[in-house]
Amino acid sequence: MDILQILLNGIVLGSLYACIAIGFSLVWGVLNIINMLHGSFIILGGYLTFFAWQYSGMNPVVILPIIAIILFGLGYGLQYFFINKVVMAPVLTTLTLTFGLDMILYNLMTVLFTATPRRVTLDLGTLSVGDLYLPIDRLLGMGLALLLTAILFLVMRASKIGRAIVAVRMDRQAATLMGIRVNHVYAITFGIGALMAGAAGAIFSMVFPITTNLTGTFLGKAFVICVIGGLGSVPGALIGGIALGMIESIAGYTIGPQNATTVGFVLMLILLVVRPTGIAGVKGYE
Amino acid sequence: MPEAFLEINGIQAGYGDVRVLWDISLSVKKGEIACIVGSNGAGKTTLLNTISGIVKPTAGSIKLEGQELVGCLPDAVLKAGIAHVPEGRRLFKGLSVQDNLMLGAYLRDDREAIREDLSFVYDLFPILKERSTQDATTMSGGEQQMCAIGRGIMSKPRLLMIDELSLGLAPRLVDRLGDTLLEINKSGLTILLVEQDVMTAFEIAERAFVIETGHVSISGTTAALGNDPKIKEAYMGI
Repeated sequence: MDILQILLNGIVLGSLYACIAIGFSLVWGVLNIINMLHGSFIILGGYLTFFAWQYSGMNPVVILPIIAIILFGLGYGLQYFFINKVVMAPVLTTLTLTFGLDMILYNLMTVLFTATPRRVTLDLGTLSVGDLYLPIDRLLGMGLALLLTAILFLVMRASKIGRAIVAVRMDRQAATLMGIRVNHVYAITFGIGALMAGAAGAIFSMVFPITTNLTGTFLGKAFVICVIGGLGSVPGALIGGIALGMIESIAGYTIGPQNATTVGFVLMLILLVVRPTGIAGVKGYE
Repeated sequence: MPEAFLEINGIQAGYGDVRVLWDISLSVKKGEIACIVGSNGAGKTTLLNTISGIVKPTAGSIKLEGQELVGCLPDAVLKAGIAHVPEGRRLFKGLSVQDNLMLGAYLRDDREAIREDLSFVYDLFPILKERSTQDATTMSGGEQQMCAIGRGIMSKPRLLMIDELSLGLAPRLVDRLGDTLLEINKSGLTILLVEQDVMTAFEIAERAFVIETGHVSISGTTAALGNDPKIKEAYMGI
């Protein structure tokens, strides 16, 4: 296979990975919560998109923002009514809580939807330029993923709520003195995390078959990407996502797809030893 | 006698079982600069935190022009018109000077007026305008204090509380900040200053309250207190 094709596959995969990891990274960086629900949020977004598409026949690109808003509401509520009660506790406590909530959500999805792999089939055909070969649904997925990433970047940089989220992350008490309600900002942050996960799931359902069995895989990917890219920033997750996509694409071709994931984890281990802040991470926020 | 602007009556507060404020009563008049002085650990910062709603008092009342503030959350206190510039500046790392200033106006929706106040702050501290896009925490201590005061002003308060204005700053800078505070005060803003450095506080403020181990021990005009031999010996080292 051509090296250009491998790199192209890597970028497509990487931008989807970035979309998966951004919400996870935001929640981890701002709330110091390792959100075990993240994988299930992705699958929930994907399943809801699939069923909405199947029963209404609407274009999944139109369905995506609706699903994202539903996931935002779910995330906001979970944080506001449950996780906020223990958010100041050590990280293991919130991890256990989100793990428990994940068990509920995961099993609920398996019971309601079954674990059958499902996919939104768009039949958009394939684009070929010279030797390069690209399914158009994947290109669409990549475009949507990058668009969402850009929107979140702008929200974090230039909006009032973005400033409030950074302020709460940097200094809770000083943020309180600005009149910022920390519990509300925490819930919004977790909601945005769920929104990005749901949107990523919706995109994935247009590109790959998804099933509840994949929740752990997605969670693992998000974890690796955060460690590679660095925590809590949109550019960090983007760099980490593209890096992992490239690594898996190259490793998949050279030493076989069955080893690609392992290579990702090994690189994460090496990076943890050499540069614990991640590629784009800031010191003090490991 | 007109009702006091800020009226604090019998405030008791602390952290867990440790009581810090035993019985604080004081009042600030509209339009003045008052100061609270006292040694380390006397309870000055705790008092400010209690006023701004971060620490909940166990007894007493705090009234701003008759409005009871005990039991209010920090955002309600800020909305009522009290801004708190915390000890050590506490600017937000990773955000620009302008973003820090704009966070002061977080609760406000009046875009036009916010823009006017921003240019008012930039007129007060021209160096902040020069550095508006720089990460606020990379500035010098004096510039950071200016930014913190500006952030307080951006909430358009009726009362500005400043905790440890002079902390870690060179005397000449403190003098200049003091002049600016007088200027801000002339524009109609009441200021409550908390200082460990009594001399500095007495130069800026008209009246003073001395706090010792959670009580107000003496109060009066700074002119009178500045000549009190006990104060001179205990706090000014003269």
